[in-house]
Amino acid sequence: MVTFIKKNKFLTLGLVILLIMSFVDISLTYQALENTLFQFISMLLIIPPIFLIIGLFDVWVPRETIIEHMGEHSKAKGMVLAFFLGAFSAGPTLVAFPIAHLMLKKGAKYSNVIFFLMVWSSLKLPIIFFQITAIGYYLPAIINITMLIVFIVSALLTDAFFNEEDKKLYYKKADNTE
Amino acid sequence: MSLETIIIYGIGLLLLTISFIKDKQKTYLAIKKGFKKFKKIVPILLPLFLIVGIILTLITPVFISNILGEESGVLGYILGLTLGSITFMSPFIAYPLGAELIEQGAALPQIAGFLVTLMSVGLVYFAAESTYFNKKAAIYRNVISFIGAIVVVLVVLVMQSW
Repeated sequence: MVTFIKKNKFLTLGLVILLIMSFVDISLTYQALENTLFQFISMLLIIPPIFLIIGLFDVWVPRETIIEHMGEHSKAKGMVLAFFLGAFSAGPTLVAFPIAHLMLKKGAKYSNVIFFLMVWSSLKLPIIFFQITAIGYYLPAIINITMLIVFIVSALLTDAFFNEEDKKLYYKKADNTE
Repeated sequence: MSLETIIIYGIGLLLLTISFIKDKQKTYLAIKKGFKKFKKIVPILLPLFLIVGIILTLITPVFISNILGEESGVLGYILGLTLGSITFMSPFIAYPLGAELIEQGAALPQIAGFLVTLMSVGLVYFAAESTYFNKKAAIYRNVISFIGAIVVVLVVLVMQSW
């Protein structure tokens, strides 16, 4: 029992909250389960092509290519590439994790990988017209420009925050996990 | 089906076709590898979806637009940034949601901060992010994105006061 709870912290927490909700108002519980199912279905819908692309990327793109274009000595070119890969892709941030992980495994520089992740999460330039139709030009303009500057600066600062030991550890970890 | 889904299926099918024409064997291997990674992520995500499902039930758009109104001020900025930090939403969902909230009476700076953290900070998925990299890396990315969101709020405020 204790090991189950320890191993499934989030599941236990969710079930406990569901139980409490049932006492307050059972319709809340139904709503929550419905939302969970919706989350799950929308993930099942979008995830097959993404993992297909990850698989193809793994098989077709050799380690040398990644090292050359996004590796330790890729300089600005690596960042530009990380930017385009992050901005020109669709899918929730969740699925960017395994992709970033694969990049790290193939020898991409750590700062490029973290830049890729940041860009993926909130800088979707190809859908800028979609953003403007949704909410007007004002917020997308401010958000995209500000976040681009913040992300570039923080990518350049990664070397200050993560020392060689840290980075070696990441590469090793990425190497060991399949 | 959302625009996002259509785009990603289009890209996936195109790449699959090219790969299949070039090398069948490699394509099968790619599918196998992709599926293996998929199997790895599902058990991590399932319980998290339960948490997100509960959160979405308790925190409705009406509730958000109520607490992020014009009068909410500094507390509103903090609440917007915090609420957005709970879970991830893709920009495809976040921007229309932001528009809906503004229509319902939420204020611009609050929504700006909410949108940025909604897209880039996801505390519910912190554990998942940590398993792929580690805690320090996950903290760094989330903290940077949160700082970026604060900067966005400040920029919106400065622009508004002009």
